[in-house]
Amino acid sequence: MTLVEQAKVIGAGMDRVDGPLKVTGTAHYPNDVSFPNLAHAALVRSTIAAGRISRLDTRAARAAPGVLAVITHENAPTLEQGGESLLSTPPPPLQDDRILHYGQYLAVVVAGTPEQATAAARQITAEYEPADPVMDIHDPRAEWINDPWGMDNRRGDAQAALAAAEVTVEATYTTAENTNNPLGLFATVAVWEGDTLTVHDSTQWPTSLRSSLSRIFGIPESAVRVLAPFVGGGFGAGLRLWPHVTLTALAARTVLRPVKLVLTRPEMFTGIGHRPATTQQVKLGATRDGRLVALDHESVSTLQMEGNNLEACASGSATAYACPDVSTRDRQVRLNIPWVNSMRAPGEAQGNFALESAMDELSYALGIDPLELRLRNYAENHPQLGLPWSSKALRECFEVGAERFGWSRRTPLPGSMRDGDWLVGYGLAGISFFWYQAPCQARATLRKDGTALVRSAVTDIGTGTYTVMTQLSAELLGLDPEYVTFDLGDTDMPPGAQAGGSGLTAALGSAVHAACRNLVGAFLDTVADDPTSPLAGCAVGDVTVAGGRIHRSGTPERGESFTGILAAHGLAELTADGASAPPEPEEVGMAPAGSFGARFVEVRIDPELGLLRVARVVSVIDGGRILNEKTATSQIIGGTVGGIGMAMFEETVTDAGTGRIANATFGDYLIPVNADVPDLEVIFVGTPDRYNPIGVKGVGEIGLVGMAAAIANAVHHATGRRIRSLPITIDELL
Amino acid sequence: MREFVYVQPAEVDQAVAAVTADPAASYLAGGTTQLDLMKDGVLEPERLIDITRLPLGGITGGGDTLRVGALVTMEELAADPAVTERAPFLREALLAGASVQLRNMATIGGNLLQRTRCRYFRDPTVPACNKRRPGTGCAAVTGAARMHAILGASERCIATHASDMAVPLVALDAVVHLLGHDGGRTVPLTEFYLTPGDRPDVENVLAHGELITAVEIPLLPAGTRSTYLKVRDRVSYEFALASAAVALRLEDGVIGAARVALGGVGTIPWRADAAEEILLGAPAGQESFAAAAEAAVRDPFTVPGTAFKVELAKRTLVRALRIAAGGAS
Repeated sequence: MTLVEQAKVIGAGMDRVDGPLKVTGTAHYPNDVSFPNLAHAALVRSTIAAGRISRLDTRAARAAPGVLAVITHENAPTLEQGGESLLSTPPPPLQDDRILHYGQYLAVVVAGTPEQATAAARQITAEYEPADPVMDIHDPRAEWINDPWGMDNRRGDAQAALAAAEVTVEATYTTAENTNNPLGLFATVAVWEGDTLTVHDSTQWPTSLRSSLSRIFGIPESAVRVLAPFVGGGFGAGLRLWPHVTLTALAARTVLRPVKLVLTRPEMFTGIGHRPATTQQVKLGATRDGRLVALDHESVSTLQMEGNNLEACASGSATAYACPDVSTRDRQVRLNIPWVNSMRAPGEAQGNFALESAMDELSYALGIDPLELRLRNYAENHPQLGLPWSSKALRECFEVGAERFGWSRRTPLPGSMRDGDWLVGYGLAGISFFWYQAPCQARATLRKDGTALVRSAVTDIGTGTYTVMTQLSAELLGLDPEYVTFDLGDTDMPPGAQAGGSGLTAALGSAVHAACRNLVGAFLDTVADDPTSPLAGCAVGDVTVAGGRIHRSGTPERGESFTGILAAHGLAELTADGASAPPEPEEVGMAPAGSFGARFVEVRIDPELGLLRVARVVSVIDGGRILNEKTATSQIIGGTVGGIGMAMFEETVTDAGTGRIANATFGDYLIPVNADVPDLEVIFVGTPDRYNPIGVKGVGEIGLVGMAAAIANAVHHATGRRIRSLPITIDELL
Repeated sequence: MREFVYVQPAEVDQAVAAVTADPAASYLAGGTTQLDLMKDGVLEPERLIDITRLPLGGITGGGDTLRVGALVTMEELAADPAVTERAPFLREALLAGASVQLRNMATIGGNLLQRTRCRYFRDPTVPACNKRRPGTGCAAVTGAARMHAILGASERCIATHASDMAVPLVALDAVVHLLGHDGGRTVPLTEFYLTPGDRPDVENVLAHGELITAVEIPLLPAGTRSTYLKVRDRVSYEFALASAAVALRLEDGVIGAARVALGGVGTIPWRADAAEEILLGAPAGQESFAAAAEAAVRDPFTVPGTAFKVELAKRTLVRALRIAAGGAS
C-alpha cells in the first residue's frame, strides 16, 4: 500500500475536529462529569515537610453537615503499590504516619457538596512530631543518586582534553523549580459498580492509570475503566497515578457512591509533580578556530524522598555537537519536597539552557559568531552511536532562522545595539531534542455506510491528536476526513502510549498506520477468492487507496469501493488492529532523531529599571513530516510562551522551614500573559523522518526548549551581563 | 462551607446600624477581595451586609473637586472625563490596577480597603501572621518576601498595601467621607491608613461599622503634568514591585508644585512629603530628582527578599519625575 501521491489531507492546516465541542462548552472534561448521587471529596494536607503525625483530630469534621466519611491513615485500608517504572506511581496514600513533604495528604473528607467537604476538611487539626526537613542539596544529610537511569555518557577522555584545550570556558548554571500549572484543575470522578471501577481523570496516560489502579486495589485490569476524552492540559503532570486519584477511588468505595474530587490551585502545586531545580556545571574546551575538543556537563537535580523521576539534564549534551571527548553525568538529590515529575521538555529544558549558554560564552571567548560556532561543530552523524540520523535539518534551521531574523545585523559587542532608551540584544540557541517512542496500539473499522472509526486509548491534552489522527486515518484509508472519526481517551480501546516525551504522534501514528494497513489487508482477504473482484489475489503492497476505493497501484480503474466489498459479502463492517514499537537503531542502521530547532530572540532592556521584554522570536523547527501545520505551529507557539515563562518568570518558591509553597496561586506564581508575548514566527523545515512509517517527529515539547538560553544570551548581548540563573528577573538586571 | 447571613438593606442607615451592632458583620461591595478571602478561610464574617444596592454611586462636582461615591466602580472612575483631563495619573493607576473584569466589579471604597496580597496573611495554615492573628509573629519577615514593603514596615509586619489607585489619591490629598452610627466625618486619605506598628491587624482609622460613603478628589491645577509608573515583572496582571505617582508643575524649568507618592513598597500608600519638599523650588533635573528619591526612601526596613526594592523604588521615582517633567516617556 502506498500513500496517495498528492497528500490532500496531511499537512494542511485543518481546523481542530474537536474545536466546535470545545468552544461551545460541550466537550466533557473530567470535572464536567456528574451523577445524580455524586458525593464530593476534599483533601487535608500536611503543613510540615518532615516528621510524623502524632494526632489527627477529626471529630468536628465527622460531625460537620453533610459529611459521609473521613478517611485517614488510622482507618484507611491497606493498599498495594502501583508499580515501578521510569515514572513510578507514588506509594499509595494514608498508609502510615510518616510525613515526607509539605502538602502530603493526611485525610480525605467526603460530603454531599464540595462546600461541605471543604468546610469539614478545614476543621481537621493535625499535631506532628516534626523532624528537621532536608530542603537543600547542600544539606550533608541529603541522599545523592548517581547516574539514576544509566544514561550518563562517556566518549574519549573529557578531562584530559579539557586540560589540553587551547580555549576553555567553565560555568555553573542554575534553574528554578517550576510548576506545570495546566489551566484545567485536575479532577477525578470515581464510580464503583461491585468490584468494577470506572475513573474519569485528567490523565495523559489512561492505559498506565488503569494498570496502576488495578494493582493498588487488587482487581484485574479488566475491572478498571479509565476515561479521559478531554483533559484541560497537563504539560506532563498527568503522566502518573497521583495519590488524589487513588483517594477518590477509595472514597467512592467507602461511601458506595460516585465521588468527585477537584484539586484546588494550591493543591496543584504539591500534588501532581513539578519541574525539579537544577545546578549544572558545564566545561567546554575548543581550539582557537572554534572546534569543540572537550565537553563536560554535570547536572544535579532535586528529587522527592521516595520514588523516581526521569529527568536527564546533562545526557542530551553528548549528542548535541560533534566533539571527540565527552562526559555527561546526571545526579539527583533527595529532599523533603513534593514529587518532582515531567514538565514539558523535562531535563532538556534545563540542560539546553546550560549547554547553549556555555556555547554563547565560548563564542565570546573565541571571538567567533555564536551561529558560526554552532555550525563549525555540527554533528553530521549521531555522535554517540556513530550512525547517520534518521533525519536532521538543524543546519537548515540555523540558516533559515538567521536569514529570517536578520542575524547578520547583529553587532557582536555587548551593549552596542540600542533603540532609544532601550538596550537591544540578539540571542540564539540550538536544540537537539531527544527521541522517544513507546509501544502503542490502535483499531480501525470501516462500516457499510462508508465511514471509518479509528481509536486508541490515548489522550489529546490539547495538542491536536484528535485532529491529526483524523487526517492521517483519512489519508491512509483514502477517505475524505468528514468520513473519519478518531476516538480516544477510553481504556476499553486498544492500549495506547502516553501523551508525553514528544512521542505520541510517532507511536500512535505508526499504530494507526499499521491498523489501517491491516484493515486494507482485511478487505483484500475478503475478496481474495472472489474471481469477480479486480482486487482478487492482491497483497497490500500491490494497491493504492483513494476516494473510498482500493485499486491496483497504477491502474485506478481496476478496483472496488470499501462499501461495495462490504455489501457484496454481506458485511456490516470490517475491523483491524495495528501495533507499533520502534526498532533498535543497529537493526535499521540509523540513529532515531528527535526534532531539531533553532531559536532567534531579540530582547529589549531598560537598564535603569531592570525591565526585560522579549521583542521578537523566530523559531525554525525540523519536526519531520508535519501532519497539520496549524496545530503544529500552535504547539511551538505554546511551548515558546512556556519558555518565556521559564526564562523570565516561573519559580516555585518554597519556605525553608516548613516546605510550604510560598507562591501557590496564579497571582503569585507568574507565567507570561499576552502582553509579555510578542508575535512569534514559526517556520518548519526538514524532510520526513525515516525511523517511523509516517515520517513524523514530536513537536509537543521542543517549543519550550532553547528559549531560556536564547533570552539569556540576548540579555548578555544587550548588557554584557551573563545571567546563569533562571528566572532572569528585575532584581538581577537592576 | 461556613455559613453566613446575607443581608441587603434598603437604606444606608440600616446598613451602618446592622454592621455596627454585630462585631462579626462585614460590608460587601464588589467582593473582589472579601469573597476571595472568605473562600480561602482568611475572613470568616457571620453576617454580610450587601451595600451594592445603596445610593452610594455617582461622580458629582465640578470645578476643582470631584465627589466620587463609594460604589463607583474602578472602570467608571477611569472613564470619567474630568479624571482623564485633570488627574490623568489616577486614570493610569486605575487601568494598571486591575483587569477590565475586576474594574467593572471593584468599587472605589472597596479598593481603598483592599487587603494585602501577602501570602502569609492569605494562607490560614500559616501560624504566624500579626495581621491575621494578632500576636503570632510575622512569617513573611523570614519567608519569601519579594513582593513586600520596605517603608512603614517592621519585623512585626511587612505586608504591602496593594492598591494602585490609592497611590495617586494620597498624592492628591483625597478626603474620605465616613458614616458611622453616631454620624459622619471626613478624614484626609493621608491620615486614613495606619502603619502596622504593634497592631498590624488595624489598617486604618475606621471604627467597626463605619462606612466609606464617598471620596473627595481635588483635581490638579491646569498646567500640572502627572504620571503613574508601575514597575512589575510581567507587563500586566501583577501587583507592583514599585510604583510612583507624581504630579509636577514647572515654571521656567523650576518646580512650582510637586505631589509624590509611592506604591508597592509601603505598608500603606506612601506619600513622600520629604521628596516634595526637596522638589519644590528646585530645578527640574536629574540632580533634584535623585535627591528627592533619596529622601522618599529614607530609612527603609528590608529583609533579603526586599533589599533590591530600595534601589528599584528610587529609580522608579526618578523615572516618573522625569516623565512628568517631560524628559522621558
